[in-house]
Amino acid sequence: MIPFVAVVSLRGRESRTLRVWVPLILLWLLLVPLAVLFSPLICIVCLACRVNPFRTFSVGWQILCALNDTELEVEHRSAGISICVF
Amino acid sequence: MNEHRRQILQMLSEGKISADEAERLISALEERPSGSPAQGVSDSGTKARPKYLRVQVDAEDDGHDGPTKVNVRVPMQLLRAGVKLAGLIPPQALHRANVAIHEKGIPFDLSHIKPENLEELIDQLNDLSVDVDQADHATKVKVKVFCE
Repeated sequence: MIPFVAVVSLRGRESRTLRVWVPLILLWLLLVPLAVLFSPLICIVCLACRVNPFRTFSVGWQILCALNDTELEVEHRSAGISICVF
Repeated sequence: MNEHRRQILQMLSEGKISADEAERLISALEERPSGSPAQGVSDSGTKARPKYLRVQVDAEDDGHDGPTKVNVRVPMQLLRAGVKLAGLIPPQALHRANVAIHEKGIPFDLSHIKPENLEELIDQLNDLSVDVDQADHATKVKVKVFCE
């Protein structure tokens, strides 16, 4: 399943933490028409590069699905950022 | 001939291990009481697969900046997809990338990464654990890479 939400936590100098829930599902919904629109162009580019376009779409989808549970945290004395994808 | 012995002989015939290593592995097998599973192997004979690759970096700076900590958790599934992505690199780009890698002195050929070797490659990551400690006059850096 593709990730639906990303949680971005930002910590500033005053130790105040700002937590933002990003609804990725809205982003995917916005990108679907663009993906459909550009899919012929992507297919042409893939064929020009001698790459199977179906495999390209399949791998792209797999990468998107595999983003689930990815976590990145960077902590410093003055600031910190954490990104979790669910 | 049991399965383990067969695997060892298979690896020997494929040239993955030397004759000495094969002998040591076989003698280790013989020393092990029959019926008891190997360390870290479940009763079904399969290892519990790790789900994540974790990278932790601790950098302590003696200056005014203070310590910096980085913690990255990458799902193994993403690595699998990444290796598949490497299989999509066009041949001409692959050649250029290989030349660049060889110029850097790294004896690695990207064309050897094939989907059929993928599972084997990921399985080898189970036992991966890299610890790097660097201590300069001003900074101390600890890098830890492991699977969980």
